[in-house]
Amino acid sequence: MKSLFGRRSAIVTVVIAAALILSGCSKSVNDSAGGASGDCGSWTIAMHAWGGYTASAQVVTEVAKQELGCTITQTTLDEGPTTYDAMEAGTIDVIIEDWGGGRWKDWTDRGAVVEAGENGNVGIIGMYVAPWMVEKYPDITDSKNLNKYATLFKTADSGGKGAWFEGPAGYTTIGEKMVAANKLNFKVIFSGSEAALVDGFLNAEKNKTPFIGYAWQPWTLHSKLPTLEAARVKFPANDWSDPAKASGLTDYPSTPLIKLISKKLNDANDPFTSLVKNFKWTNADQNGVAADLENGMTAEEAAKKWIAANTATVNSWLGK
Amino acid sequence: MKVRKSYLLLASVTVWILLGRLLHGKNTLQIDTYENTSFTSFVGQKALDLRGNRTESPAFIYFFNPIRGAIDGFVQGIRNLIAVPAPNSVIPVIGWLGVVGLIAFAVYATSQWRTALLSVSLLLACGALGMWQFTMDSIAMTLAAVLLSLAVGIPLGIWAGLSNRVLKILTPFLDLAQILPTLVYMAPIALVFMIGAASATIATMIYSIPIAIRITSHAIRSLNRSPVEAAESMGSTQKQLLTKVQIPMAKQMIVLGINQTVMAAVSFVVIAALIGAPGLGKPVIEALIIRNVGQGFVAGFAVVFLAILLDRSTSAAAKRQDSFIPPTQKQIKTKRITLIIAGILAVVSVFISRTVLWAAVWPKEVTIAPQVAKVTNNVTGWILENLTIFTVGFKDLISYSILNPLESQLSASPWYVTVAMIVALALIIAGTRTAILAFVLAMAIVLSGLWYEAMLTLTQTIVGCLLTMIIGLALGIWTGRNDRAERVLRPFLDAGQTLPAFVYLVPMLGLFGPTRFTAIATGIVYAIPVVVKIVCEGIRAVPQALIEAATAAGSTTRQIITKVQLPAAKKTILLATNQGLIYVLAVVVIGGFVGAGGLGYLVIVGNSKPELQGKGLIAGGAILLLGVIFDRIMQAGARRSS
Repeated sequence: MKSLFGRRSAIVTVVIAAALILSGCSKSVNDSAGGASGDCGSWTIAMHAWGGYTASAQVVTEVAKQELGCTITQTTLDEGPTTYDAMEAGTIDVIIEDWGGGRWKDWTDRGAVVEAGENGNVGIIGMYVAPWMVEKYPDITDSKNLNKYATLFKTADSGGKGAWFEGPAGYTTIGEKMVAANKLNFKVIFSGSEAALVDGFLNAEKNKTPFIGYAWQPWTLHSKLPTLEAARVKFPANDWSDPAKASGLTDYPSTPLIKLISKKLNDANDPFTSLVKNFKWTNADQNGVAADLENGMTAEEAAKKWIAANTATVNSWLGK
Repeated sequence: MKVRKSYLLLASVTVWILLGRLLHGKNTLQIDTYENTSFTSFVGQKALDLRGNRTESPAFIYFFNPIRGAIDGFVQGIRNLIAVPAPNSVIPVIGWLGVVGLIAFAVYATSQWRTALLSVSLLLACGALGMWQFTMDSIAMTLAAVLLSLAVGIPLGIWAGLSNRVLKILTPFLDLAQILPTLVYMAPIALVFMIGAASATIATMIYSIPIAIRITSHAIRSLNRSPVEAAESMGSTQKQLLTKVQIPMAKQMIVLGINQTVMAAVSFVVIAALIGAPGLGKPVIEALIIRNVGQGFVAGFAVVFLAILLDRSTSAAAKRQDSFIPPTQKQIKTKRITLIIAGILAVVSVFISRTVLWAAVWPKEVTIAPQVAKVTNNVTGWILENLTIFTVGFKDLISYSILNPLESQLSASPWYVTVAMIVALALIIAGTRTAILAFVLAMAIVLSGLWYEAMLTLTQTIVGCLLTMIIGLALGIWTGRNDRAERVLRPFLDAGQTLPAFVYLVPMLGLFGPTRFTAIATGIVYAIPVVVKIVCEGIRAVPQALIEAATAAGSTTRQIITKVQLPAAKKTILLATNQGLIYVLAVVVIGGFVGAGGLGYLVIVGNSKPELQGKGLIAGGAILLLGVIFDRIMQAGARRSS
């Protein structure tokens, strides 16, 4: 037994050593593969999980690869602090779309993350009812009438009030403040993920059940529910002239979406730096690419299609 | 005495309900989610300072950052070897064919050809699911975490095995680590070590080191005394005793400990992705975000395959040392020859995987992932289409009949009433010492400012545990009494224990919508296997003589179950309930992702909103406190009942 074990270990050791030596010195397939060309460096772009983000990030990636010869890696990770930390650590260089109205302040203050301007998209956040309800209850989109319909929205989980489905954890959400400020008979339920909201809206529309939830533009759900925008509930606008004082938060402000880059990319003055800084497009542009994605095109195909159709815009980003 | 105890319980519950009704809605300590208390904003500020300090403070420069760098480098090294392109290269050092060859060889060398064949097919299945690189990343992460865990755990375990004082110091930490819901400690670790492979490895180690310590110390302690005494009497030194007698004798059990450590690390593969671990967790979490059940299951299957692969190969290695029949000369020779041939094959496969592209990178065309995804999407689509009426009905039934009344009782009663109730329960079930502990811990939750959310989580945990026990007891008794049932159910229980909860969180969301019940249902599915296994063992451990005596006295089957087997297995059932509670709690908090609210949501929101970070960290602590309260009461109760 003992000797068998001993011999066996010896054989194992020899094999593993041989494999390692082999892997060290044999000619590998690498040598036949060429490296990246051009004077652009290699950079990493954060990929956040929503369709619109994918559209923007993929278009930037394709332009950088094709026109500038950059090596671009895409890394999927959570938005917000997670990504800012990664930028500080040097593993992420670009966020192409951030909704968080200044939550990056601690990182920009100490220079770890740099604002790179607006990306041209304007984020609209709001509370939306299931589109079928607008036809049946035309006055429901006025926030003053919401209480009249509150009982419709009651579920087993809403404690006798209407269920108000709040946006995912990382998103800008002020549901509790809105309910309080507008004196609504609703209970805020934290739906926790985009998936839960998509499920909620689609099921409600299909089964004609009442639903009120957090939704936004640009968002791919709009291509599945074309009448969703008409189902936005109109709340009295806040006075945003003094954000610190806007305590009675009655509705979401529209948010210009921001690009953020790492200090490393900002200092490098690479062709990619100016591409990211110049990148700017409209909600319609993004929705178009996102809709192609939704309809089954790969991100690469959808981005290439848009780039081919919009050479003038692309050239303006490249400073041509 | 027994009768009085149950009366006491009943009386205190009645008082609690009455007081709760009477003082409904008073002193509930509810605050809005976006609101901070002075304590939570203090912790949040400290956390922000910590983030800012990462590049300046000496603690980071000389301690945390080097640790992060070293572990990152270690993981990256293994990843470059098998998973991701090595530096200045487009492929990993060893391509897929080489990995398959080496693993097959290693498994063959440590156990039998059958296990090797199984390992190869599992690996190929992961590749065919389109998950090759993710699987390799997960193997790399697991390997790194296990090696580091063993490097820390085995020496500590040996020490704790030899010294009573060390064991006494370590035990509370080991207990705590077993209760700790995984979601809880990831945020603090990520705060110090940042998102990435290092944090994920350290989080995994926290989970798996205690297991290595426990089993190693147990192995040393349960050794037969006589060889040790013999060696002592022959004048062996301490060192000789340890290296020549104790460790070799305990070797087999230590190998078993390695197996358990590996399994613990594997079970962390998915959740570690929340703090940036590369590997199979990524597609699973992504599937949750984009609500793609098919993709979730494809990745989930790969996790299960990986778990089976690692379990079988390591446990086979442990078993091999079991054999008492020495192999014949001829057997040894044959094995040696086949080993050498296998070794040559392995080396050749590594060589090919470095020279030919198809053997280096898993060919994209060889995949069954779209088909598997399609089938699971169709199946879940059908289920959602046809069963939602029932599931929603069931959810509403449970919500209105148990969940809402209990939630109203727990969360709308004044805090002092519920704290008093918890202390009374602890006093009756577990005794004075536990009652004092329960009081201190419950007050800590009150002072943390998150009492209201804790009560929401408590409600969900209790309801989940209740349903788990109903199903778990039934299945446990059935499998405990019936060998065939056990054989049929066993694979499902094993798979259920390894399939990550995140995988079925998505279909549960479809079945029950963004509600508390989705979290509860997921917790139930997660906890049932372990409860069934424990109950089954408990029922089997009831002495046959007792049952025979009862049968001879003319008892019916029902009488045997209720009057003999269940009372005799009472202690085990209490322990099963405890495990059920802890398991349900660990998953219910993940329910924050799907609309369950409570402490879990605060942890999640704390990760993504800087202004709520303090609250999230404290919510993690509160989850832990809840777990400890449960665990202490149940453990003490189980001890007393024997």
